[in-house]
Amino acid sequence: MKEVSHGLETFLQQVINGLSLGSVYALIAVGYSLVYSVLLFSNFAHGGFLVVGGYACYAALKVLGANIWVASAMSLVGAGIVAVVTERLAYKPIRERTNVTLYLLIASMGMSIVIENLFVIFVGGRFRALPPVIPTSPVSLFGLATTSAFDLLSLVASVVFLGALQIFLLRTKWGLAIRAAAYDLRTAGLMGVNVNLLVSIVFFVAGALAAVGGIFLSVRYTLYPQLGGITIKAFVAAVIGGLGSLPGAVVGSIILGLAEMLTAGFISSQLRDLVVFSLLVVTLLVKPSGLFGKNVSEKV
Amino acid sequence: MSGYTEGIIILLCINAIAGMGVSLLTGFAGVFSLGHAAYMALGAYTTAILTVQYSMHWLPAIVAGGIVAMIVAYFIGVPTLRLMGDYFAIASLGLGEAIRLILENWQSVTRGARGYPGIDPYTTLPVAVGAFLILLILMFNFINSRYGRACKACRDDYIAASLLGFNTANIRILALVLSAFYCGVAGALLGGFLSFIQPVMFDMMKSTELTAVVVFGGLGSMSGTLLGTLVITLVTELFRPISQYRMLIYGAVLVIIMVIRPEGILGNRELPSFFRRFLRRDS
Repeated sequence: MKEVSHGLETFLQQVINGLSLGSVYALIAVGYSLVYSVLLFSNFAHGGFLVVGGYACYAALKVLGANIWVASAMSLVGAGIVAVVTERLAYKPIRERTNVTLYLLIASMGMSIVIENLFVIFVGGRFRALPPVIPTSPVSLFGLATTSAFDLLSLVASVVFLGALQIFLLRTKWGLAIRAAAYDLRTAGLMGVNVNLLVSIVFFVAGALAAVGGIFLSVRYTLYPQLGGITIKAFVAAVIGGLGSLPGAVVGSIILGLAEMLTAGFISSQLRDLVVFSLLVVTLLVKPSGLFGKNVSEKV
Repeated sequence: MSGYTEGIIILLCINAIAGMGVSLLTGFAGVFSLGHAAYMALGAYTTAILTVQYSMHWLPAIVAGGIVAMIVAYFIGVPTLRLMGDYFAIASLGLGEAIRLILENWQSVTRGARGYPGIDPYTTLPVAVGAFLILLILMFNFINSRYGRACKACRDDYIAASLLGFNTANIRILALVLSAFYCGVAGALLGGFLSFIQPVMFDMMKSTELTAVVVFGGLGSMSGTLLGTLVITLVTELFRPISQYRMLIYGAVLVIIMVIRPEGILGNRELPSFFRRFLRRDS
């Protein structure tokens, strides 16, 4: 009997951890999916925006001595600006000249290497812990399970930001324009939408969301230049949910977070990455367009 | 010849073999992969285990390494090559990482993340150059055969090619399997060159590099790939003293090429076609 209740407790704990991790993946995956829905390429530099966000927060806290709200705001804006600058420097010249998305994909891989190594060179490759600004004390959940305040907080923050994004996309004029562009960028341009401004806004939003994810991930795993590599899981989540679909990205991320944490809790924490990639492969085999993706079939 | 120059030439041959493999898949069949380092890993580990554990001669062991990579590629390719564009790229990335993780966790066979030491240094200069030349001739024969032309047809217009009666799915699988063989052999040679292999050597970064070299040289140009390999390998060696900046420069070069000349150094033409035009202008 005791065994069973202990198992249940672990299970609940891992579910909460999984939801928390999944919600952070969701913040990253949504930004990535947003860019994909408009420009139809996988932006591998997305992990770089996350790292910029993490370091901006760290610098604001440590060097400027700002409080967490100011530091987070600076981090969001900083990562958003880096995202916009990346787009202007590396992607805009390419997308203006050709519609071969492969070139954008490779340029984004280049940008991800550049951003990562700028931090290695100018900030140093060592691991840094964020000052204890986010509470990580244990919290008891109605006596059923114990979890850390940090997990609950990241879950809440993710829900808030995803809700804000949803409102932005559904209730504002630019949100409408972005949805139109996701349908067809060229036609949206013909309808009088300023395409370059629109793409910049999309990148700013994606960068800012990645920064939120970056702050929470750097509390969870400490901060280092290669932290952006974790976005690969957000890519996987976006593919599981269906590339270009925002609800899909969120659902995929939650599934992934749960799978990862339950594997770590009940099987072995070394196998968690393997489970992630197996999930990807199974999804692609069963339903390549993902859970919510548009079924892409080419017209002849 | 000094040991250092010899080492660079061996490395060049190994990189060129892997590059040719990826070039066939990406440049000629139009399938973009981000997981080809895994096939190098499979080749390297198969050969290492066969030569060290079962004291097999290195030559059949290298071929076996290539064949294991081919078999795995076939089973991966049949389901995943239905996917197009970014979907296949991400699937290959995931599969590549999965293979690496399996190698890392399968302690009893691969000795895990710490690596596999004590491989015979069988990759001497003649072996590397010989393997390179044989595979080079085979590759140029392949891309000029009707299968090679079928690959290009699939790349340029998948639907038109299938309407013309090509079995496009099989052609893509053929290209993947052959490219896996090339990468497997390159990995096996790398193991013999370093006499030590480690799963982390074959991570996503390596896969990216393989594809980047092909794009840098020009998609659809085999000689461009060789030129790209030459430039990137030599530049990497040149920048070894300032290794801190090496990756930064490498990333920046990728971006700059995509912005300035996305079709790569040679575009989709082969080197001799440039000379021919040059000669024509002369006469």
